[in-house]
Amino acid sequence: MSRIGVFVCHCGENISRTVDVERVAREAGALSGVAFATDYKYMCSDPGQNLLKKAVAEHNLDGIVVAACSPRMHEKTFRKAAQSAGLNPFLCEMANIREHCSWVHEDREEATAKASEIVAMLVERVKKDKKLAPITVPITKRSLVIGGGIAGIQAALDIADAGHQVVLVEREPSIGGHMAQLSETFPTLDCSQCIMTPKMVDVANHPNITLHTYSEIENVDGYIGNFQITIKKKARSVDMAKCTGCGICMAKCPQKKIPNAFDRNMGMRPAIYVPFPQAVPNTPVIDRENCTWFKTGKCGVCQKVCGPGAVDYTQEDELIVEKVGAIVVATGFELYDITEKPKGSPIKGYGEFGHGKIPDVIDGMTFERLASASGPTGGKILRPSDGKEPKQVVFIQCVGSRAREKGISYCSKICCMYTAKHTMLYKHKVHDGQAYVFFMDARTPGKGYDEFWRRAVEEEEAGYIRGMVSRLYQKGDKVVVMGSDISVGVQVEIEADLVVLATAVQPRQGADTLAQKLGISYDKYNFYSEAHAKLRPVECATAGIYLAGACQGPKDIPDTVSQASAAAAKVMTLFSRDELEREPIVAKVNEKNCVACFYCKKVCPYGAVEEKEIRDRNGNLIRVVAYVNPGVCGGCGTCQATCPSKSVELDGYTDEQIVAMIEAL
Amino acid sequence: MNSTNSKLTYSYYPGCSLHASGKEYDISTRGLFKALKIGLKEVPDWLCCGATPAHNVDELLSLSLCAKNLSLADEVKGDLAVACAACFSRLKTTQHRLADNPEKRKQVEHAIAGSVPEKKVKHLLEILAKDYGLEQLQEAVQKPLSGLKVACYYGCLLTRPPEVPELDCTEAPTIMERVIGATGAETVAWSHRLECCGANFTLSRPGVVLKLSGDILASAKAAGADCLMVACPLCHGNLDIRQKEIEEATGTRYNMPVFYMTQLLALAVGVPAAKLGFNSMMVSPLPLLKEKNLL
Repeated sequence: MSRIGVFVCHCGENISRTVDVERVAREAGALSGVAFATDYKYMCSDPGQNLLKKAVAEHNLDGIVVAACSPRMHEKTFRKAAQSAGLNPFLCEMANIREHCSWVHEDREEATAKASEIVAMLVERVKKDKKLAPITVPITKRSLVIGGGIAGIQAALDIADAGHQVVLVEREPSIGGHMAQLSETFPTLDCSQCIMTPKMVDVANHPNITLHTYSEIENVDGYIGNFQITIKKKARSVDMAKCTGCGICMAKCPQKKIPNAFDRNMGMRPAIYVPFPQAVPNTPVIDRENCTWFKTGKCGVCQKVCGPGAVDYTQEDELIVEKVGAIVVATGFELYDITEKPKGSPIKGYGEFGHGKIPDVIDGMTFERLASASGPTGGKILRPSDGKEPKQVVFIQCVGSRAREKGISYCSKICCMYTAKHTMLYKHKVHDGQAYVFFMDARTPGKGYDEFWRRAVEEEEAGYIRGMVSRLYQKGDKVVVMGSDISVGVQVEIEADLVVLATAVQPRQGADTLAQKLGISYDKYNFYSEAHAKLRPVECATAGIYLAGACQGPKDIPDTVSQASAAAAKVMTLFSRDELEREPIVAKVNEKNCVACFYCKKVCPYGAVEEKEIRDRNGNLIRVVAYVNPGVCGGCGTCQATCPSKSVELDGYTDEQIVAMIEAL
Repeated sequence: MNSTNSKLTYSYYPGCSLHASGKEYDISTRGLFKALKIGLKEVPDWLCCGATPAHNVDELLSLSLCAKNLSLADEVKGDLAVACAACFSRLKTTQHRLADNPEKRKQVEHAIAGSVPEKKVKHLLEILAKDYGLEQLQEAVQKPLSGLKVACYYGCLLTRPPEVPELDCTEAPTIMERVIGATGAETVAWSHRLECCGANFTLSRPGVVLKLSGDILASAKAAGADCLMVACPLCHGNLDIRQKEIEEATGTRYNMPVFYMTQLLALAVGVPAAKLGFNSMMVSPLPLLKEKNLL
């Protein structure tokens, strides 16, 4: 290339204040191969772009250097302008004389000299630029949603309603997640199950949704538009096709005393069970750890009583492979279990609260089950120890949350509201009861939230005490709460019948291992990281993977549903095209020189390098070489720097170009 | 168990209380260590650790007192064994403060005209539970304390603040229970193991102590304990010396002997009761020990 145009931008005063832009343009004009050089006040403005287009036509330019801001800012703008002038966009490069020069220097003379050198380097690079065409990648228009809580359900329904196939994978035997466990929901006190179960049924009946419950993600391969997902379907021991959901197996199972995790271990369930009556799918699962047949081989009652013959003890785990183009991760949260210090965790437990030792110290989710009409007490507030109705209940907020000394610094966001709700539910059911709340702050931003909290305080007469609790201990049949009221500066002791702890919201167990399978990043608490906190809140940095719900950070239901729909919209945007266009700045392997050491494969952060077999026409293997999958390559150049035989190069950043740039200095 | 334990030897910092009102803590500690064949050599010419007053008045003074003691202790072989919970807390706090504060360290080194050595400070509990080992302690028992229901009282300083003593979990420690449990004594689960006894208010506002220590005694009694076990002379003072006053103020009879941990341990490993200072306790433990056939 030998007819290059150089356009030096003033950027208002951002560049011209410290760089003599006219001189840079003059010196650039004198470089060999430069056919045209000029400066302009705002190159990115419409007149600036027109100047560029006009120059391409008038001077018959075959390469362009725009000396202005960072390519991160305006490379796309100028490449588009070059393209509309009939030039291949990849023959247009930017020389960064703002962030790399004018903004960081004060001496005008030195800054001008440096700017000229940067321009000279880019001119040499453009001379060796090749025309590149965008890479197109086909898109599989099916989506995977991981997690069948409200976030996963909402995302799956939105994508399915838009006419795309969805594969929904849920670890538990039924979808529904935590929302199915809640009694009523703030700030409107809708019954959680009433608004949740129709959505669960919609999922089960939707022609575009394939539901895999009692299943886990085993492996993830591929890249945006082309993922291969291996799903492990755990053995239910019940044939889903034959089962009618009549429930006789559960009624006849002799094992009746297994704590039901769905009821926070307050209720009991048999060994063959559905987690809750409204489960979707309504097909039981045999819990093999507690089933007499699987333990001793001496029972088989459920198989005998099953009319359709659906119980199948020989069922085994199976692996299925699904091909999808996008993934929505919605694995949700769990409450911080303060019964004991989690092993290997930076989080210290709360031994002083006796949770797990004192039966009447429970967490928020357990209270939800007590208050729920479908819970173990049928919605009556009865304490776990002796089944009496508690007349004094103490709620403690921020247990774990905002407690840096205990290892968690963040606010769990939902507890202020759900505790206010708990005080209301309690008062509605126990009219002569008194609720006390120990709190640090009441954080109630949200539509109708503060009004809701005020109602709890003013109308339901919840006694809010600003201060923390140091210790809980059993005294007779009471739990003594030792706390402080910092607004009046006194110590408070309350003899409570029941204590409810608002424990911190944490990501689900195993969130980190799933993240490693997906290749997405997570923070020190294992919450998944979004690509940009403000502008890309539902996307992962890994293309094609989206986030919804509390797996990204503590969230209430409205936020979760909004984010789930947003993630679904992102998936639909991706599926609105037949092919994915991406920048052709990818690595290519020179197969003649490649010695198959696969150092490139080891260092590639994107997992883009594959082993390619070269065979003769008879199918005999001649040799193996490296192959860079252009769909996955992120264009970072690590392989190029690593390759000992110099057989892999990044388009647009070839060794030749880099050396030419260095020589221009 | 490795046999090197019999070769254990420590430098020993008793602190002021153990030479005065808490003498029975000192003699029982020496008796216990002798019986277990653990070497114990008192630091020559030690001085006060500064206790509560020094660090309330002048931080440099309190750090310098402890730094001086550490440098004196460095002349005696072995880690520094400390019995008193307050001395232990002050010495550990000093090390903690100087660890990441070179500026302070310089001032302190100027004040004591010498350097502050890296001396390991260990509470007796740590020595018994970790260095000597609970299994070996169990083997050394000649007079099992079975049938004796002990309420282990930690007080404030053994586990607090979390980053200083590093003895055990701050909020739910078990080290005392584990150590005395090795003698066959029964430990009770009770609520006030970690509550403050009122500490120095015993002189300025005794009313506070009567309330706080009264709650502790009541809680131990409610849990069915025969006696309390402590590792701090000040706690001992508040719970033992003031017990009669507490009984008068609350109208409840507790009659709850308050033992130093080493008294019970020494008794269990065969040190004669006459050498354990039982007669200098305000609430006489002799009737209880007779009843349990431990004399």
